[in-house]
Order: sequence, then C-alpha cells, then structure tokens
Amino acid sequence: MTLEPATERRGSNEPRNRGVQPQVPSLYIHIPFCKRKCNYCDFISYAGKENFIDRYVEALCQEIKSLTPCPPSPPTGRQVPEGEGELRTVYFGGGTPTLLEPHHFDKIISSINSAFGIQNLEFSVEANPGTADQAKLKALKELGINRLSIGVQSFNDENLKTLGRIHDAATARQFYEDARAAGFTNINLDLIFALPGQTVAQWKEDLWAAVALGPEHISAYNLQIEEGTPFYKWFSEPATERRGSSSAIREETAKPCLPAGRFIRRFPSGIQLPSEDDELAMYEFTIETLWLSGYKHYEVSNFCRPGLECRHNLAYWQNRNYIGIGAAAHSHINGQRWANPSTIEDYLSTDYGLQATDAPGPDQRETIFMGLRLLDGLHHDNFRGFEKEVNELVRSGLLIKNGEKIKLTRKGLYLANEVFEQFV
Amino acid sequence: MLSKIRNFSIIAHIDHGKSTLADRLLEFTQTVDKRLMREQILDTMDLERERGITIKAQAIRMQYQDHILNLIDTPGHVDFSYEVSRSLAACEGALLLVDATQGIEAQTLANAYLARQHDLVIIPVINKIDLPAAEPARIAEELKHVFGVEEKDIILASAKDGSGVPEILDAIIKRVPHPAGKKSSPLEALIFDSHYDAFRGVIAYIRVVNGEIRTGQQIHLMGGKKTFEVQEVGTLKLGLQPKDCLEVGEVGYLVANIKEVKDCRVGDTITDSKKPAAKPLPGYKPIKPMVFCGFFPLAGEEYENLKDAVAKLQLNDAALTFEPETSAALGFGLRCGFLGLLHLEIVQERLEREFGLGIIATSPNVIYRVTKTNKEVLLVDNPTKMPAAAKIGKIEEPYLKLTIFVPAEFVGSVMTITTEKRGTFINLEYLDPTRVMMSFEIPLSEVISEYHDLLKSVTRGYASMDYELIGYRESDLVKMDILLNAEPVDALSTIVHRDQAQSRGRKLVEKLKEVIPRHQFVIPVQAGIGAKVIARENIPAIKKNVLAKCYGGDVTRKRKLLEKQKEGKKRMKRVGRVDVPQEAFLAVLRLGR
Repeated sequence: MTLEPATERRGSNEPRNRGVQPQVPSLYIHIPFCKRKCNYCDFISYAGKENFIDRYVEALCQEIKSLTPCPPSPPTGRQVPEGEGELRTVYFGGGTPTLLEPHHFDKIISSINSAFGIQNLEFSVEANPGTADQAKLKALKELGINRLSIGVQSFNDENLKTLGRIHDAATARQFYEDARAAGFTNINLDLIFALPGQTVAQWKEDLWAAVALGPEHISAYNLQIEEGTPFYKWFSEPATERRGSSSAIREETAKPCLPAGRFIRRFPSGIQLPSEDDELAMYEFTIETLWLSGYKHYEVSNFCRPGLECRHNLAYWQNRNYIGIGAAAHSHINGQRWANPSTIEDYLSTDYGLQATDAPGPDQRETIFMGLRLLDGLHHDNFRGFEKEVNELVRSGLLIKNGEKIKLTRKGLYLANEVFEQFV
Repeated sequence: MLSKIRNFSIIAHIDHGKSTLADRLLEFTQTVDKRLMREQILDTMDLERERGITIKAQAIRMQYQDHILNLIDTPGHVDFSYEVSRSLAACEGALLLVDATQGIEAQTLANAYLARQHDLVIIPVINKIDLPAAEPARIAEELKHVFGVEEKDIILASAKDGSGVPEILDAIIKRVPHPAGKKSSPLEALIFDSHYDAFRGVIAYIRVVNGEIRTGQQIHLMGGKKTFEVQEVGTLKLGLQPKDCLEVGEVGYLVANIKEVKDCRVGDTITDSKKPAAKPLPGYKPIKPMVFCGFFPLAGEEYENLKDAVAKLQLNDAALTFEPETSAALGFGLRCGFLGLLHLEIVQERLEREFGLGIIATSPNVIYRVTKTNKEVLLVDNPTKMPAAAKIGKIEEPYLKLTIFVPAEFVGSVMTITTEKRGTFINLEYLDPTRVMMSFEIPLSEVISEYHDLLKSVTRGYASMDYELIGYRESDLVKMDILLNAEPVDALSTIVHRDQAQSRGRKLVEKLKEVIPRHQFVIPVQAGIGAKVIARENIPAIKKNVLAKCYGGDVTRKRKLLEKQKEGKKRMKRVGRVDVPQEAFLAVLRLGR
C-alpha cells in the first residue's frame, strides 16, 4: 500500500515543532470552584464546594513544590527540563479563580516564586463579574497579576440568563471599570455568540459594546453544545428510531459525531439556536468589525491589539511545554502528557507521583491542526508527507501558500475542521 | 423397536415459548445435565438467541420411560417455510403451542395447516398460563374454532415453571403414532436439514423412512443425483453420538464426505445406490431465491474478502446464491439471492459480525419477468439489467397470497396500508368476536420493502402475517433512477409501479437529502424515469464547521473528535465527488416511514 512510507515519515520520531525552539514552560493553575454551573459549560468545575478552597490551595502549593527544576527526589518524572527554569507565562483558569481571596493568591504565588521566580511573566487570571470588587482586584494587581480575562459572554441580560450566568450586563461593565481603576492594562473580554435565541443584530450590539470598552484582547467563541451540559440535553437529537437489531447495530457504530450545526435547533421553551447561516454571519461580522477596530485576528476565536496575543494560549497552539496544576489539569513536556485527577476529592488525596498518560504526545498531526488555528499559519516544513493533502486543500481554496508558510483561507477558517480532518 | 419411537416438532409463533418448552422437555427427560443447561439450547447461533427466533432447524433425541422421542425443531420465519415443511415431513406429530395471552398467529396457522397436510397428529398446548394476562378459555375457544380441536385434548402448560410438561410428554407417547415403514424395504431417508462443518464436511440431519443406513454403505441422493459413501451415522443429543446404523423410523445425522450443502439439499431423498428406492419421497423442491440485492464492500480492496466470506456462508446455506456484479457507482460487488428479507438481513449481519466486513447492501428486489417487444423473455434480478422502456413488451412480477391475523379493531388500518401497497382484498373471517383473519393478493416486491414494519406499526405489533407465492402477474412497472450531483447512481435504481413513481421518487430524494451529509458544495438529488426528472432536492453546502475552543487540557479530546469525524467519512462510499453513507442505500427500502 502506498500509505506505508508516508506513515513512516509521519512517525513520532520526527523532530517536533520545527522552528519553535525556546521551550520555556507555561504554568496553568486550575481553580475548579464556581458559584453555579453555567448551562453551556463542560469544564471541570463544581458549585457549592467552596469549603474545600483552603485545603485545595494548600494542595496546589504542594504540587508546585514537587515541580522544582533541580533533580527532585523521589523523581516525579514531570519536571521542568534542565536549563529552562524560568517560566514564561502563568495562567489561573477555572472555574472561577476570582472566588479565591487575595491571601489564597498570595500563598500560591509565593510558592511559584520560590520554585521558579515570577519576573517578566505574562500573568493572567480568569475573572467573573460579580466575584470581585475594586479592592480585591487591586490586591491581585499588587500580587503581580498583570492580565485579566473577564468572562462577560454577553451584554444582553436575557441572553445572560439563558446561559445561566450569575451576573447581568451592568455588573460586567462595572467589573471592567473596576479592573481598569485597579490598574490592569491588559484585559481580555470573553464573548460567546450563536446563543439560543440570539439574533445577528443582538450579537452585533454585544460586539460593539465590547469594542466600545476598548479591551486589549477579545475572545469571541461560537457556542459549542458540549456533552454533559444542560444545553446538550435541551438541544441534542432524540435517539434515532430503531428498526430490528441489524440496523440498531449499524446505527450504533455509525453514530455521527455532530458538529454544532447538526443539533436540532429548538429549546424547551421554544427558543431556538441560530441557523447555520446566522452563525456564519455572526462570525463574519466579528472578523470584519474587529479588524476595522484595530484588532488583529490571530487565532480562530481570538483577537488582540498588535503584540498583545495571549502568550499562554499560544503555548498550547504551538505545542510548547506546559505544566498544569490542580484538579483535571493537563501537562505536556517534551512529548509526554500527564493528567491530574479530575475531582477535587481525588486531587486532594493524590501524592503528585503522577504517571504519564498513554495519550499520544503531540506529533506532527497535532502540530498541524493546532498550528493552523493560528492565522499566520505554519512553516511548510511541518507538512512533510502531507503534500498530497495540502495540494488538494489549496486546490479547493481552503489553504493558501504564503512564502514559506501555509495557512487557512477565509473559507478554510469557516471549514477548519474539514481541513484538520485531513491531517489526523 | 418402531413402536417405541415418536418423532414430533413444535409449531409456535415467535415468543410463544417454543425454545423454553424445548428446554423443559430436555430437562424433564434428563437429556441434558441441569448444570450444563444454557438458556434455550436449541438456538445455537448468537443471532438466533438475540432475535429470539430459530433460523436453522435442529433435532434432539430424548429418552422418556421406555420411548425414544425425537424433537425436530422448525425454523420460525416465513422465509423458511420450505424448510418447515421438510421438518414436518420427518414427523408423525406436532405440538401446537399457543401463547395464553396472545392467541393464534398467522404463521402458527400456516404451519399447523402444513402439519395437517402431512397427516401429523396435532397436540394443542396453551402456554404461559402462569401469566396474569393469560386467557386460556378464550384461546381454547379460538383453537376449537380454527382447528376444530376438542377441549379435552388441549393441554394447559407453563414452560417457564414446568407445569403441564409431564402431560405433554405423556400425550406425545399416547397420541402420536409411531413411525410406519419397513426395515426390509430399500433405504429411503429424508434430509430435513444440513450444516457444514469445517473438519467433516456436510453433516446431514435425516429421518429414515424405510430400510436402514449404516457406516460404509454406498448411498445415492435422488434429487442431487450424487453418490457418496457413508462415513458415520448416529443420533443427536447435544452433540453427535455415533452409532453403527440408523434404522427405520429413527432420526439422526449422516457424514459422508459431502463437500457442500448444495450437494445435500433439504428435502432430498437418500437411498442405497445398489438397491435404490423406486421413487424419491414427495415434496422435494430445488431452492429458488426470491429476493435479490447487491453487496458491495465499503473499501474497494475488500472485494476478494467479501467473495470468500459469502462463499463460506454458502457452504452452510444452500439457499444463498451469488454472482459477481459491477456497479458504476459502487465498483465490484456480488449480486446475492435470498429466500426473503430476513434471510438477507441475517447474511448481511453475519458478514459484518463474523467476517468484520463493512458492506453496502443495495435495495432488495424480486425477479421480474420481462417480455421484450421481440418476444424474447428475460428474468431480471437487477434493476440495472432492465431493458430500455421502448424495448419492453410487458413486465410481470411475482404475487403472493398474504394472510394476516389481527384484532378486529385494526381491520381498517390493515386494509388501508395493504391496498396502498397494491394489495387486493380477498377475504375476511372472524376467528372469534375480537380477532380476524384477512387475506390479500399482493406483489412480493411490496412485502419485501417496508410492508411488515408498517403492518406492525399500524397494529401496534398485534398483527402477524404469512404468505405464499401464487405466481407472476403483469404490472405497469418502470425503472426509477437516482442522480446525485447530476450523475446516475446505478445502485440506487429501483423498479416501481408507475402510479407510485412520483410519490416514491419524492420521498426518496427527501430521505437522501436527510441522510447524505452536507459537502463543501451543493448537491442536487434527483429521481427520474428515463430522461424525465420526477423529483428534486438540493443538499445545501456546508458553510461552517470549526471548533471554537481548543486548549491544552482538551487537545486529546478534540483530536478524538476530528478522528471520529474522519472515521465517519471513511465509512461512506464515495460516488463521484459525493460521500454516501450506508443509510442512503437503506433509505430506498424504508420509504414508508
């Protein structure tokens, strides 16, 4: 078969991340606490477990200590590669990190500082409106946190309710002002479009409202219906009718994985998901509007003022080393992966002697499908062995060659999964 | 010796408890050690257990008091009615098993009539009397009315708790006559089933009607016209129990270095080649497949594997036929012939399960008899072989007599769907005040599409049906083609009645629009007769398919999602530029819903 040699060439012995040299790690800290779970969210996070926070923070510090770059004893296997002791980025994600008090942050940051130092970091915290006042934000700023990612999601109170958020638009606006007043000069606003019942006009208003505030960074995510969420229950398809055992078997094996566009567009109370055409219109409008407003579109869903890309998230898309701390956090160092226990209780009883998971390390395929998410594209060296696929995709107008780089066209951006599929 | 033998079978509808009763009989006669008892021993194939039906007949020998009782199992589906008739021909008696909560069903009636034709003594048994919903008195009335049995002859039983089982065994000994026949006559043995064993060749299940058969004997198959030497004979328990000789009246098996089941057809007569019988036993029919469809491998390079697999199944299934077929859309495949739709589904499922093959089955069809304008007569088993309309003088298609048992309240619905499927009403008869028997004449092609499912759904599962072939009749039929992206897909062509072409065409293109995933371009789906388009839909282009979020923790998950998406496409068949899922080919036969 002609595939053999190609598969060999694509094998895992191929040096990864050609051209991306510095492997300074990024540190992710997961805070799995929320006041309540949002209807769309499938991240690991729990409501009503705030009484665990003190112990959890303690465990985070222990885990950070276990990562000290000098030869650890006993060896954990998950250590910072030698000579790369300096962190590049730190990111507190959740959940709702701002449910923690400043003294919790202080404790964790001290641990990071004694393990790695915290000079010249991009230091982000995800923050939810309604969970911190100006004083608290100021305290965070003084601890060295220099970037806030605010989960605004929408400026429409009706839509915020549908999402199950705990705040309204006014609270979000106030939160943003407080963050500015607290001295934050690098702020991201998280927005979601294609919400149940949302019209294109409503989304335009959301986006204009965000632009009017003048954040340094905007993440505009197309709503994704994730399994295990209330939205999934409300919008996923009813079981297909069965006909005899033979077809039941066929249906089971052939059960399609549904992109958001294939979900039934209805809601228990009659609210519907926007049509595919509307989704596309919202996305197109986002790209055009933010470009005209001086934002650079650098990743499928991410836009920034020039030079203010989220360096932490770039580490994921560029397959760099990152270490995840806390429940359900994932790590990747030089091709190996680790996964922490995903419940708070299991995490608290772990001893950090984590075994690497069997999940394959990021190979060439992953380099491609993660890297192509970046609008600048990838160096063509990364596509060796995939020349046929690349040429086919260039012919059908989904990829374009630009100097030494290969990147998604606008059409390719809309159909990114169809492109990525060719490389997995 | 003869006077101590009883050969019998059990006639029952699906789920009326035949296999459970058989288990109880085996237990009660201590034929099977209780510790080795598996649920429903007679159904050996996994498929049979799952579907709760018996696909292949088998036999088992029991000892009760000083008698030998041979239970000859019968297949429980109308597709296999010929096999049923041969199994019954090997018996002198039959248990007529009826569910105390359900009553007589169509196949029970058909098979009981068949048993009568073979002069079998019928022992009526009402089963499941332990259930709260049991109505033994009503069912007894039905039995009396429909079969003319006498109240005193009916046995009430529960195969589940074992009540009535001793009475059944006693009745078998008292009421079923012992076999007739003479040991001194020339050998006549009836083959009522056979199966292929990889090591020993064909194992035939036989009933010795006259004479005897022993190891080393030269035998002749009167229908198959072949001669073999007997290597082994014996009786059937849960395995084969070799014996020197099977005597007149006995039931057992035969091994004679027979390579294929088609050399040893069910219903054939075995005789001694040196001292042959004057004429074969009555009732032998060569098997004729009634339903045809194409099997194509999903992956083109699997063709040879598919051919090998079908050939292997054929070793054990004389009713399965195949020949190579080439489709412009699907490439190389096999045109296969089956006894009926169930047979088709079983073969398809076995190919997928036992041989791990991904296959596309094209819409099943019957054999049409076409008389061309030049008077030439063709038998067409594949729509793609249908001559051009201008050259056709007339087309005839096979018709059935269809019998339906149904609660009286559903008469209207049954009438509606059956006449919609081109059925002609013949008769209606009340079995009791609440249940009726309806009969129709209807084209076989209608019954093999979704008629049975439709019948079950409009009668909430209460109807049962049976049919028999009554011959060919002229019909106004046309070939309907399907075009995807302006290219005809030969594998989706069907023969339809002209009056139905428009509505079927419209439904089919709608269904195809539903099951064919959107591509990066618009795909027109058209149905046409000759050059005339009768229905059209467009599958809109996919405009957006992108994961909004993709971060460190969930890379592995998202990657799996992409892999799944890709896998899904691999399971489809590429026709021109269009990826067509298996369901599209199924859509053709599921139009009614």
